[in-house]
Amino acid sequence: MNSLIIAQMAVSGALMGLVYALIAYGFQLTFATSKSINFGQGELVMLSAFFSLTLLNLGAPYWLMIPGGLLFGVVMGLVVERACVRLTLEQKSEGWILLTIIFGLLGFSAAENIWGRDDRPFPSPISSDALHILGINVTPVEISVAIGVFAVMGVIELFKRKTLLGKAFEAVSADRDAAELMGISATHTIMLSYGLSGMVAAMAGILISPITTVGPTMASALILKAFSVAVVAGLDSGFGVVVIGILIGVLESLTSYYLGSGWRETPGLLLLILALAIRPNGVFGKVSIRKV
Amino acid sequence: MLKRLIFLRGAEVIAFVLLGLIPLWVSNSYALGLLTLLAIYGILLIGLDVTVGYLGQVNLAQAAFLGLGAYAAGVCVTLFGFGIFSALAVSMLIGLTLGALLAFPALRLEGPQFALATLSFSALSTTVLNEWEGLTGGAQGLSLNRPAFFGHAVDAPGFYWLCLILLAVVWMAMRNLLSSQWGRAFEALRDSPIATDAMGVGTYRHKVAGFAFGSSLGGLAGGLYAFNFQYLQPQSFTYDLMVILLLGVVLGGRKSLWGAFFGASLIVLLPNLLSNRLLFEIVAALGLLLALVVGLRSWLSKHQLQFQAVAPIIAMGMLVIGGFMVENTENWRKAIFALMLFSVVVGLPDGIMGFVARYLTQLFRIAPPALPQASTLDSVLPAKASDGAILLELQNLKRYFGGVKAVDDVSMQVHSGAVHGLIGPNGSGKSTAVNVISGLYAPTEGKVLLHGKLLPSGSLFKVARAGVSRTFQNLQLFGELSALDNVMLALKDAYRVPLPLVLLGLAKSEEICAQSDALALLQLVGLEKQARVHAKDLTYGSQRFLEIARALARKPELLILDEPAAGLAHPDVSVLVAIIKSIKQRGTTIILIEHHMDVVSELCDTVTVVDGGKIIAAGTPEEVKRDLKVIKAYLGVADEAPLQA
Repeated sequence: MNSLIIAQMAVSGALMGLVYALIAYGFQLTFATSKSINFGQGELVMLSAFFSLTLLNLGAPYWLMIPGGLLFGVVMGLVVERACVRLTLEQKSEGWILLTIIFGLLGFSAAENIWGRDDRPFPSPISSDALHILGINVTPVEISVAIGVFAVMGVIELFKRKTLLGKAFEAVSADRDAAELMGISATHTIMLSYGLSGMVAAMAGILISPITTVGPTMASALILKAFSVAVVAGLDSGFGVVVIGILIGVLESLTSYYLGSGWRETPGLLLLILALAIRPNGVFGKVSIRKV
Repeated sequence: MLKRLIFLRGAEVIAFVLLGLIPLWVSNSYALGLLTLLAIYGILLIGLDVTVGYLGQVNLAQAAFLGLGAYAAGVCVTLFGFGIFSALAVSMLIGLTLGALLAFPALRLEGPQFALATLSFSALSTTVLNEWEGLTGGAQGLSLNRPAFFGHAVDAPGFYWLCLILLAVVWMAMRNLLSSQWGRAFEALRDSPIATDAMGVGTYRHKVAGFAFGSSLGGLAGGLYAFNFQYLQPQSFTYDLMVILLLGVVLGGRKSLWGAFFGASLIVLLPNLLSNRLLFEIVAALGLLLALVVGLRSWLSKHQLQFQAVAPIIAMGMLVIGGFMVENTENWRKAIFALMLFSVVVGLPDGIMGFVARYLTQLFRIAPPALPQASTLDSVLPAKASDGAILLELQNLKRYFGGVKAVDDVSMQVHSGAVHGLIGPNGSGKSTAVNVISGLYAPTEGKVLLHGKLLPSGSLFKVARAGVSRTFQNLQLFGELSALDNVMLALKDAYRVPLPLVLLGLAKSEEICAQSDALALLQLVGLEKQARVHAKDLTYGSQRFLEIARALARKPELLILDEPAAGLAHPDVSVLVAIIKSIKQRGTTIILIEHHMDVVSELCDTVTVVDGGKIIAAGTPEEVKRDLKVIKAYLGVADEAPLQA
């Protein structure tokens, strides 16, 4: 019986972990091109979820809401890039950390006042009646999360490998200056990466909302773990975030079962600090060489 | 000198005396409460400014240190019955210890990872404060009584004076710290961490110490916070407070004690500002006006990017318009902070104090204190008799990058007192060899021996400490420091006063000695007239010479000059040659990497030629020049690559 409970906790934790991985993947997209990440990414997830909920409440069908929500995410990503990132990258400063935090704060406050402070349910056409697989309860909604995560990551990876624009993306990631000399605009590529990252955030919001409900505070719970996943895995390994995402998801699920839900966030946070101490570039990250 | 004293110190004294006198006239307990908070936040922000301002890192943990310090004091008083000062000492100690523990892993990397680590730490400490109910009372909160002070109950004015005195002490300690070698190191490691290490000033240890110091001030402020409110809750010390603290530091002005003070008053006044509609409208309008003035000025002068001029105007405009549309401004508290913070970070990166200070310095033009007489060069860099023994030896040195054999089995000896040339075509591995010797890279295989003893590998800092000093091919000066400070930073054995005495301001005489010594080295390279000029404002040639003076300040046994003549104009090259000759006369051994063959011929006793990571020739400059392999490596040989008609 006990092992069954553990397995149950592990499976639902792993599915949550996939969402952390998806958000962390959004960090990787922008980090690859610009060496910057959006500290307000959690608020982007939350805003996109609220926006999608509003679309549904306005009577949009579920399948039309998804592209609408994703488009909103893209636009927000572009706004972040223009308002918070581009200037500081030009100045070669790390002001973007502060500016994206500020953006998140603004988004949080706006959401609080526009949509209210309460958590709201997010309807989904997919059933949330549990299926029993080998004695473990899994709901179709949870399965849809896994499918959605892999679908988005797969599509973006394919885009990066198979299209010309995607190759430009990879070129800027590999060597920004060389890419610019070859006529690829780094600015546009960074815009693209922020747009994609915003889209990924929106997707994460749409996927997770039916399970967790939508509320202004959903961001802070998600974002810390996504940060942990991104840092522990390394900011340049798409495969790594999935593995570490699942690991952290399982760990926190087990922690909250054994130690109480207040401790839920500790494994991710501890792993993050540990990873920085032992492997600063992440478990799956590349070691960089200092040059003078 | 007197003017300087009156203006700078006078302003501080007047401010503190005025603040201290207020309770004698004003008995309004609300106002007194605000003033007490001002002093507490002042201490907190001075601590935060160490990391955010001086170390240039985004620190999201200061609110957590405030909380930890507060709880430490609270627990000490309620559970163990500590007195007021011992509880404050524990708060500080908790801040210091946890700060150091966090800094050790977190400061190994720059930028986002550091911010993330501090963010995690904050979340973690909130969790612990919430869940460790036996000690902290959890979400219920912790009530405590302000302990008596030698049997006297501390009333509100008394506590205010205590806070104010502590703020003054912290203020002075911080000023002393910043005007010492520590302050220089903080500035330097932000400009070039690599050069800071290479000058024997440990980047990492200074960062950790700086962060821990700032955190201990956070802990101290926390202790005072606990005694002020006498009731603690974990929710008070979360992310929201952190953002407000950042707002305070950035808006007030980074790297400025007055900025921290100004930021603290702002934080204290913010709640009042938001609850009073009229006041809010006035502040928003003033903000818009300021944004317009600053924006238009920079737009007209085309000094800044357009975005920098326009974005704050848009943000402040949103604030003004939003102020009319929104019913209750307090609900939009965070958005208001966000817009204000955004405008300041983008439009006024130096903060309001930085903005004001620029005008004040133009108005009053206070001359920097006069420099002391330069020491004699003999006392700074005593001439050494060279015995010609082997100083440096490379044994089968290899350094591979993946499949690239940048240095492949190089063995060579450098004799004491000699100028040893290391030449070769571009990409031949000279720079990599030097980077391995100076500790930037660890060798893949092989040994580097100095005086027959193994040099530490893979640490610029340790190698610098062992007596090897270097310059950089791509200049690594501390641009924001003056030429004098660049040299002073690197001075070996000049700073012996321990940190506690430095904080008390007892390092002044040592500073003056260091200044004299540094001036002597600047004289050697002909830069004594530019001692106060920022390194980034020097001409290119002078920057190269300054790097040499800085490397000499290490009083090295072995000086490595990495392409010192690269990009120099012809007259400067002859100055360089003269400088290197005079260094050689003092008996310092030199490895010279150079492309100018005339410079090499004129200066070098022996030359080693590398190509493709291997040594292809060695001997005197004349021998090497005639060597066929060398000619082939530099110019190619006709029969190997026949020209196509």
